[in-house]
Amino acid sequence: MPRPAADILLSVLVLLLQTTLARFLVIQGIVPDLVLLWVITIAIRRGQIPATIAGFSLGLALDLISGPDGVLGLAALSKTIGGFLAGYFYNENKILQTMGGYQLLLITALVALIHNLLYFFVFLQGSGLGWVTMMGRYGIPAAVYTTAIAVLPMLAYARKVLA
Amino acid sequence: MVKRLYDIIFLFKEYVVVSFCLLISILLLALNDSPQIRVLRSYAVVGVGLLQNVVSVIPNYFSLRQEISALRAANLALADEVSRLREGKLENLRLHQMLALKQRGEHRYIAANVVGKNLQLLRNTITLDAGELEGVRVNMPIVSESGLVGKVVSTSGHYAVGQILLNKDLRVSAKVQRSRVDGIIRWNGGTTLQLQEVARTMDVQVGDLVVTSEYSAYYPEGTRIGIVSRAEPIPGSLFQGVEVSPSVDFTHLEEAFVLVHLPDSTRIALEQRSQEPYAASGR
Repeated sequence: MPRPAADILLSVLVLLLQTTLARFLVIQGIVPDLVLLWVITIAIRRGQIPATIAGFSLGLALDLISGPDGVLGLAALSKTIGGFLAGYFYNENKILQTMGGYQLLLITALVALIHNLLYFFVFLQGSGLGWVTMMGRYGIPAAVYTTAIAVLPMLAYARKVLA
Repeated sequence: MVKRLYDIIFLFKEYVVVSFCLLISILLLALNDSPQIRVLRSYAVVGVGLLQNVVSVIPNYFSLRQEISALRAANLALADEVSRLREGKLENLRLHQMLALKQRGEHRYIAANVVGKNLQLLRNTITLDAGELEGVRVNMPIVSESGLVGKVVSTSGHYAVGQILLNKDLRVSAKVQRSRVDGIIRWNGGTTLQLQEVARTMDVQVGDLVVTSEYSAYYPEGTRIGIVSRAEPIPGSLFQGVEVSPSVDFTHLEEAFVLVHLPDSTRIALEQRSQEPYAASGR
């Protein structure tokens, strides 16, 4: 299967996982952002432009799926920025090392933090929560949870590196 | 040109792509009407307002010039209007005072504007725009709302000339209203009048009101003349020097009334006759 087609197929799969199975992973109201993790993976494996486009497309799809519960354009905006930032860590010669090493966790943590900062800043407007409360209650825990999930692809790629 | 543009786009393709994606995302957000976006929109309005406030501090030379020109024109129009209103207010005040004067007196008054004035000579006069056709006659007193102005000395059809108190030829029988001390008002130049023939033992104080006396054949009794501004005995004399500040401000006199009050000719004739024997004997 050509690489773009496989990526698109996997993107749809991740989208389905996020919208259906992620609710089983909820801890204290915090959900891991599998779509963002997938966008970061694309950024490290494919580069900045594919990651930016993937972030925008998947974010827009999430916005549309969320319906009246979401804010149309917000996930698209935050994931576009997430994909674009993650794209700065793309190195064609070190894809396996980055994906199979602690770098993936660091990149995920950094990008997820910035993503959550932007996302929750808009999403929680009018809720009366301050910046610190907002990040302490939602932004940082969600980033930590997403980073923790990033351990799975990291381990998978680490096995590849070792092999 | 197109190739060059294409090259530039290609060079910055990552930024072009991200800008495009961000633009669409922001457009979608802007079209949103969710509560979160409404809050953000209110922040944006406040932010833009603050920014405009800051930017408005920076002066725009051309708009300032236009504004200054417009303000100058407005200022000129307003100054003109203020001047006219002030004039109207003063006129209104004068007319009110005149009306009160007219209501107080028992005589008939002929209103006139002061159309000519001479205040620099020893024989100062004013010209009124009312003459014989309006009923003005020689020797009629001239008054204003402030008090006695003088008397008519010549007339024509529509004009009359009057001697004012600041005329060395004019004499007026007067008295101090408080102490009923009599004297003769004269002017010898300067800014004040003199109340003459007042014995040094008479009670005259600074601030006393001086009015026309009932002894005067030409002026009605009790018409205000002025206020005593100085009263001191004259050294080596039986009289005292009494200076009176005239009530009427002749410099700003614009309107006056001629009092229809002619002297009693029989009284004058009798008084003149009784003086003749003394005059003939040289006394």
